[in-house]
Amino acid sequence: MKRYLETGNFAITEGAILAGCRFFAGYPITPATEIAEAMSRRLPQVGGIYLQGEDECAALHLCIGASLGGYKAMTATSGPGYILYADPYGWAIGCEIPLVVLNSGRVGPVSGITGAPGQGEFYLTRYPTQGGNFETIVLAPNSAQEAMAITVEAFYLSERFRTPVTILADQLITDGFEDISVPENEEEMKEMGFRTWPRKINRGPHFYPPTDEIDIPPVVLGHNTGALCSDWTPTEEGYDIEEVEAHHKHAYRLIYKIRNHRDLFNHLYEKKFMDDDPDLVVVSYGTPSRVVNTAVAKARQEGLKVGALRLINLWPFPDEHFQRSTKYLALELNWDGQLVREVQRAAGKDSEVHFTGCCGELPTVNDLIEIFEKILKGQPLARKGWQLEEW
Amino acid sequence: MKVRTEILASGFGGQGVVRLGQIIGEAAVKEGYRVTMLKSHGTEMRGGYVRSQVVISREPVDSPIVENPDIFAALSLAAYNSFKHLVTDGIILYDPAFVVEIDNTLTCIQKPVPAKDLSVENFGRPVFANTIMLGAISRHLDVLDRDVVLESILHVIPKFHEENKRAFEIGYSFFNGKK
Repeated sequence: MKRYLETGNFAITEGAILAGCRFFAGYPITPATEIAEAMSRRLPQVGGIYLQGEDECAALHLCIGASLGGYKAMTATSGPGYILYADPYGWAIGCEIPLVVLNSGRVGPVSGITGAPGQGEFYLTRYPTQGGNFETIVLAPNSAQEAMAITVEAFYLSERFRTPVTILADQLITDGFEDISVPENEEEMKEMGFRTWPRKINRGPHFYPPTDEIDIPPVVLGHNTGALCSDWTPTEEGYDIEEVEAHHKHAYRLIYKIRNHRDLFNHLYEKKFMDDDPDLVVVSYGTPSRVVNTAVAKARQEGLKVGALRLINLWPFPDEHFQRSTKYLALELNWDGQLVREVQRAAGKDSEVHFTGCCGELPTVNDLIEIFEKILKGQPLARKGWQLEEW
Repeated sequence: MKVRTEILASGFGGQGVVRLGQIIGEAAVKEGYRVTMLKSHGTEMRGGYVRSQVVISREPVDSPIVENPDIFAALSLAAYNSFKHLVTDGIILYDPAFVVEIDNTLTCIQKPVPAKDLSVENFGRPVFANTIMLGAISRHLDVLDRDVVLESILHVIPKFHEENKRAFEIGYSFFNGKK
């Protein structure tokens, strides 16, 4: 194990290489440029290929081509690039092509603020392309070290489910420096809980059965496989047509191969002070969850019965964590409230759901404790700077 | 040691604020601590400031935000005014070449470190000011061994090793004989 003071971008790059990623195509964007930079240096050292696309759309199409050629492939971007993935992301979902996509959130919309953290793509990562009829897998780390582990896990899941997996990070994770341990061999990877899945080859010509089955190898073109890759409706026999019944079967597979294997995501959440039926549960993901942990620990010292629920797998959304009837507070790095809508939907009707958002910077521990106190006393929340007269 | 040691450095772009945080973080990793170092930048040319926030702990660091710095190195007036109120029990080390107006209502200890002038005086240019400031920080930072900080400077900054060593010494010994 080697220890470094390094950025999340470094950790993600090393995680990808440990997971067997040998192809990266990207287009530079703050705060994920350093991944492209590191990949361009590291991939040739391990026999891999680095390409810069003419834009993000091209970059993800290049990744699709590489994955269809048998490579484990990845790209990385921020919100303004992620939105350009809409077309290739749909191809990858529909043709069931394993890929890993990293989105480091900054402040939007559009270019917004580049060097500051935001969480504006909670729903965009659920619906990264048009058309519906699919489920997505989205994972959200909260530190550089965990970003490495989550990158390895994303490759593992993408291979087993034959689907693209998005890692939703934020600027503080990718740009921030932390002490990072990098495993140097397979034993150390196992010790750190990293699991990998080799690329296998579907020889075709049959496409996948209309079931929720996972672990069927993905399509690889060439290699005398005769397999199918089409943007129309694939049939089980390996033809492409336009027909409702066949498309219904296809959609069933795209939705339920993920929804029916939720057990594979069970370990991807954390709870703190949750075993004693807290009066308030703070729900968050990504870097804000770290401030929540500090704030909740401090609130407990002050006698406030607050708990923290931190989500790592955002999609499929883990409804099962919201069974308890209590007060929930969704804390997000946006001002419009996205995660909170899903918490409202998942929480029972006897629950009370609150939202507090900030963007471009993290909330402070002191801010959070003030918010906890207000909610627990039943007082209304007033966000700092939210009233126009303060501007 | 306290559970967390927090260091905040802030100034203009180009002063080496991010480097400074990186060097302290690197030294802390070498000493086996858990470390986070957040850098914010990018808005500086539109009137903001560059900031690095370092948290050092024996335990894994949850919140990476510096809310109550043990040391605040202020390298511009805007930075000083933005963050001076965070310091309650800690120390503000400021460069009087940039921080031209001090808030005397603060209750914390504030010490001038004329890093820019000392750099120009000793090396004929201001580029070693951040290493001088690092020396001054190191003097006030009990959790890190000064030799490890110096070693980290030489590791992170690839050039001008002799000058950086001297600059570090100048900063470290600046408070000799002073209160």
